Amino acid sequence: MAGRVAIVGVGQTHHTSRRDDVNLPEMVGEAVRAALADAQLSIKDIEAFIFSNMEAFEGIILPDHGMIAEVGAIGKPGLKVTGGGTTGSEAVGEACHLVSAGLYDITMVVGWQKHDCGDATAGISAAAVPTAAKGMVVGAVSEFAKQALSYIRQSGAREEHAAMVRLKADRCACRNPYAHLKLGLKGLEDYLKSPYLVWPIRLLDFCPQSCGACVVVLASEERAKKIHKKPVWVVDFEVAHQEPFSAGSFGDPTGTETYSQDVAAERLYKRNGITDVRKQVDLAEIYEPSTWEEMSLYEHFHFCEKNEGWKLIEKGVTEIEGEFPVNPSGGVIASNPIGATPVIRIAEAALQIRGDAGEHQVTRDVKTAIATALGGPNWTAMFLLKRSL
Amino acid sequence: MAKVTEKLEGMDVWVYHGQIYIPNTYSAGAVGSRFLIELRDNKKIMGTRCPTCNRVYVPARSVCKDCFGELSEWVEVSQKGTLLTYTVAYQSNPIQPVSTPIVYGIVQLDGADTGLVHMLGEVDPAQLKVGMKVRAVFKAKKERVASVLDIKYFKPLDQNNPR
Amino acid sequence: MSEGSPTKKAEGPEYIRIEFDLPRRYNWSTGRYLGKVYAEAKENKKMVAPRCPKCKQLWARPPSPVCPKCKVDMGWDWVELPLTGTIFQYTYQVYPLWDPHEGERWSNPHPPAIILLDNGIYFRHLLEETDTKKLKEGMRVQAVWEEDYEKRGQGFQDILYFRTIEE
Repeated sequence: MAGRVAIVGVGQTHHTSRRDDVNLPEMVGEAVRAALADAQLSIKDIEAFIFSNMEAFEGIILPDHGMIAEVGAIGKPGLKVTGGGTTGSEAVGEACHLVSAGLYDITMVVGWQKHDCGDATAGISAAAVPTAAKGMVVGAVSEFAKQALSYIRQSGAREEHAAMVRLKADRCACRNPYAHLKLGLKGLEDYLKSPYLVWPIRLLDFCPQSCGACVVVLASEERAKKIHKKPVWVVDFEVAHQEPFSAGSFGDPTGTETYSQDVAAERLYKRNGITDVRKQVDLAEIYEPSTWEEMSLYEHFHFCEKNEGWKLIEKGVTEIEGEFPVNPSGGVIASNPIGATPVIRIAEAALQIRGDAGEHQVTRDVKTAIATALGGPNWTAMFLLKRSL
Repeated sequence: MAKVTEKLEGMDVWVYHGQIYIPNTYSAGAVGSRFLIELRDNKKIMGTRCPTCNRVYVPARSVCKDCFGELSEWVEVSQKGTLLTYTVAYQSNPIQPVSTPIVYGIVQLDGADTGLVHMLGEVDPAQLKVGMKVRAVFKAKKERVASVLDIKYFKPLDQNNPR
Repeated sequence: MSEGSPTKKAEGPEYIRIEFDLPRRYNWSTGRYLGKVYAEAKENKKMVAPRCPKCKQLWARPPSPVCPKCKVDMGWDWVELPLTGTIFQYTYQVYPLWDPHEGERWSNPHPPAIILLDNGIYFRHLLEETDTKKLKEGMRVQAVWEEDYEKRGQGFQDILYFRTIEE
């Protein structure tokens, strides 16, 4: 990137399944005010807005148009990004482009989803081209069911491992005041009681539909140093798209297809001289729609060798106190307001770098972090954040 | 719903007639709910006031557009107001609350600084004039459900009998 | 049309939620390539796929005017697909979820599967067998067509499902 960009403020709402006490614009406004307070800026300082939302999942059109007053954007420039699961990260990427190009000094990314308005599974099922895939796709759940089956076949992972992933996510979520699902799961028995949605995906294997918003404020190098004591530098990011494969976007049966995760990771790591992720990076906030996918992502992002993702979870490497913490916030499995989720990954990684994550702050000192996003049909966005340049 | 695929004349191309049906629920939120509940329970039209800008918003809202301030002061506004503008819709559409022709108007109630979009009734559209005085007509209590349609319509104030 | 539907909780303030149901209707054209698949299925009970002139791969579902691998024009070289194969992978829905095409919550009893056709192509479709205990990866299956000509013209759905066959 040309000019340097830093995150100078983050704000989130407390993610939950239903918010009757606010309308949609008001909910988003809460996160905006929280981010402004964190950055110690006034709304007047924000020069441009990037909105991030999947409106189809709320069953309405152009919700951003109705919230300009609540977000404080009246008369200001901005744009909206709608890109599936990766929406939020592409929005942050756009905001970085605008600041880096010198067009604006301070931009705000506003990501939200109020799932109690609509139904995300319905929205995703509607995305399947009706003439080719109707009846085959049951939201994202069926796609990740296929992924789970392929992963089990290739790696030998078992249900106990999926349970361990969920238990870790829940332990982390219980320490994160903003997380949605804080279930207090005790062990494998709790996991096995969970009903199947689309076999072998259980209710506990899959991310929820949450109501929430997350906002990050980005500033140019010159302004960032004056605004916040601890700016978090967005050093680099990469986005890779992928076509749906002949038979499975997330779990390729032939074992020969290239995944967008591999492409994005390879490019990002090469550009930044990362050859040993677990040594050179201190933390990852990854976008895992299901427990099985988390194990698979460990492999794609080179946290471990192929087919060994389940071993990392077995050994506790990715816990908050672990050697290489992943998703100390609870991850997508604990909170998933889709339009905001990738923004939350970036915001949480930034909090960890600042040392401001409170109870879910990891033991390892975080100087460098990765935040990723995943969207159908398996697009990947990866961000590299650093404490100092 | 019948899923129909229809072949186009003279070529191997089909058109699929589909639907995207995703249910939507709108939450009015605390402020919006109070506005609607006051209509239903007390036949009152309430607004919120920004002390910095001295503006009263009707329908009530929680944020001031100009200063970004959070609003918490509630004010009752008059049931009477001025007709700022109006139009007549002749074309039917499933979203409409009543059948066509519908006379829509924007009314600035006395005490409010914003216009309220609603319908006009008991009037021949040809008699309407921008600037005329109108008053709200509410539905009967058992028909009121905490909706903006609890106000049935606005009707012109009779010059001889301005009640 | 929308109605105010107050949600009264046992304690606490009353919040208003308004339900709004308006199915969005649309028309979707198959275009030439998918249209060819529709035509062959309707008229001849055949499933065809285009073959890329460069990599020679078949792109069955859906057929693409540009080869996803080579990025060249697909051309018009159509190959008939054998409609027998083995179950490579299958799953089944347990929990009824909202279907936006139908406008209701339901659970399709027919398991969606990836079928490895006898020519090496992976083809996604439904299985006839609703008793999942009888299913196993590797079982031989065969397509079952909609026999009524008038009812065909639904493209891939002209094949109702794949039936397990004894061999």
